[in-house]
Amino acid sequence: MELYGLLNYALFMGVFIGIYALLALGLNIQWGFAGLFNAGIAGFFAVGAYTSAILTSAAAEGRIGGFELPVIVGWFGAMGAAALIAWPIGKICLRFRSDYLAIATIGIAEIIRLVIKSEAELTNSARGITGLPRPFGDLDYMASQAAYLGIVLVVLAIAYVLVERQFNAPWGRMMRAIRDNEDAARAMGKNIEYRRLEAFIFGAALMGLGGALFAHFNRSITPEAIDPMVATFLVWIMLILGGSGNNRGAILGAAVVWIIWSVSEIATDQLPHEYAVKAKYIRLFLIGLLLQLVLRFRPEGILPEPLRGDLRHTKEGNRS
Amino acid sequence: MKLKMLAIAGGLLAATALSTAGAKADVKIGLLGGVSGPIAAMAPAMIDAAQLAISQVNDQGGILDGETLVGVVGDSACNPQGGTDAATKAVNIEGVTAIVGPHCSGAVLAAAGSVTVPAGVTMVTPSGTSPEITGLDDNGMVFRTVPSDDYQGRALARTLREQGYEKVAVAYINNDYGTGLANAFKGEFEAQGGQIAGFAAHEDGKASYRSNLADLSSGGADTLVIFDYGDGTGLTILRQALENGFFERFVGGDGMKSDAVINELGTENLADYFASSPVGEASNALDTFNAAFTAVGGDPDAIFVTTSYDAAFMLALAIEKAGGDKAKVAESLREISNGEGEAILPGEWAKAKKLIDEGKAIDYKGAAGDHNFDVNGDVPGTFALFEVGAEGYEVVTNMK
Repeated sequence: MELYGLLNYALFMGVFIGIYALLALGLNIQWGFAGLFNAGIAGFFAVGAYTSAILTSAAAEGRIGGFELPVIVGWFGAMGAAALIAWPIGKICLRFRSDYLAIATIGIAEIIRLVIKSEAELTNSARGITGLPRPFGDLDYMASQAAYLGIVLVVLAIAYVLVERQFNAPWGRMMRAIRDNEDAARAMGKNIEYRRLEAFIFGAALMGLGGALFAHFNRSITPEAIDPMVATFLVWIMLILGGSGNNRGAILGAAVVWIIWSVSEIATDQLPHEYAVKAKYIRLFLIGLLLQLVLRFRPEGILPEPLRGDLRHTKEGNRS
Repeated sequence: MKLKMLAIAGGLLAATALSTAGAKADVKIGLLGGVSGPIAAMAPAMIDAAQLAISQVNDQGGILDGETLVGVVGDSACNPQGGTDAATKAVNIEGVTAIVGPHCSGAVLAAAGSVTVPAGVTMVTPSGTSPEITGLDDNGMVFRTVPSDDYQGRALARTLREQGYEKVAVAYINNDYGTGLANAFKGEFEAQGGQIAGFAAHEDGKASYRSNLADLSSGGADTLVIFDYGDGTGLTILRQALENGFFERFVGGDGMKSDAVINELGTENLADYFASSPVGEASNALDTFNAAFTAVGGDPDAIFVTTSYDAAFMLALAIEKAGGDKAKVAESLREISNGEGEAILPGEWAKAKKLIDEGKAIDYKGAAGDHNFDVNGDVPGTFALFEVGAEGYEVVTNMK
């Protein structure tokens, strides 16, 4: 019984880590490799979640829907919609640099959240969309969770392999060149604006996919899920802690932060009963402290960005 | 650093493993609430009220064979991420028999969909008011002790029509609470032949709502119906509407029945202000609870404390009735409060336990109402319309 419970909890954490790892991977494309400070992850997460929800849910009065398409169509739709939304946003906002881009994307995410909260015909406004199909949802509790974890892991593995290949390809080198020295890259004849837009859209599509996986896991999506704390800043902490610019770091960061986030509550529950409520706030503090410590003592993250190609030899040579 | 991280994570896991080993004989129920997040100010009082029910059970001989009932507090953070995480921990790590909460509708929907319904754990939310919860495909495992916004919105619409209101404007806060109430109200008010001359959502926390109010009053309504919180944005709207004379009469939902309104605006300015609110039907049940909650230092007027208390106490009764069997809790929950049998008031645990042991039917009369669940696990709730008198809020009429 005890073991059964622990295993169930582990499966659940696995699903969440997988979903957050997808978000972190998406952010890694944008920040880690293209240097785009996107603080609007929640917006693309929401677009993906709602697109998939609308495409796959049963008809409901007062809002569009009832397409009841297979879940897989919903997921591809989620990626497509998030990318489509990212395109005009990128067109306009990517002219900004670093902190200005962050402010613009926070604003965009907030706009998306308010639209979702207000448009009853599109998203059922504040009530959200319920009754989403969950793949293998009819199995019993543990089997269903295990099956969903399997799906998430397969999706994550595919995303990881594709992104990793892309980063090691000439495209990746070019993106890093643009990130590290824009003028030099421009002098080489690279189309900076276009390439930055590419990275922004790819990243957004992955975030949309993460949102879709999240919505179907919970069988529902409500505007409360688009909380910037859990959908934007937690992802940033994961990437920074894991190591931006390193895909494995992004996934590891997602795992470490979520485990600490989730398990720390069990630890604080050991405090005496009268502190049970107060202790919950320690978790928020803990995550903030963690970020401070990482930024102070290990700004490159747990797994730093790998040095690639010829550069590796020269760097290692210099170091000795 | 990597090692340190692993060490930290490992340490936390070890703490978990140690904690789950002990306390075998206890019966646990999860108390999931939005401790952090947007309703952080409301959650502690709600959890305290649920803890009161638990301590009453333990003071009066405990549950089942004298076992201790333990409330495990979890932070559902008022969002689906936190709600599912807290519910998973409560169900799998703590091994709870049933759950009170989560507090916010989005968390309820997600936790039900991914955790408690598949795991077969009964859940009673004291404050998830979204009408979406009614239609949830939940195998009869999700209940609530707070009426759906649908009920209150409709009851208020009927009452206003009975009192001769013809043309009203509606301002509602843009969240599940405000939207649910406003839409239910609008549908029923129009069905009863009334006219909605303005209908607009607003975001909370703005400094001025004068342009919203001007828009709403341009339809020619003399009454403004506000679905908002009386200690927040709702107060701002009411004040600015009064200052600028946009409307003559004001009607609020239960969120507006706040003492902050009277304290801030003054009784003399509120002659044309009414608010609807759920009331406990057997009022001595409410008095009993109020006295008990005040005695432990709680504020019985805090929002949703009565529903939280009822949820916890009823789950305790249901667990007793089910003999501690998780699978039977949902069924038992209906049996202990179906309007038949000897009445049980808040805190009467020893009496209830004795009757259950003798196999007699009991009927819990809660602090927030009778809680006779319908097929969807909803309670119809009883509401009254209040006006502001010398002593604070006074009942004008009961709403049907």
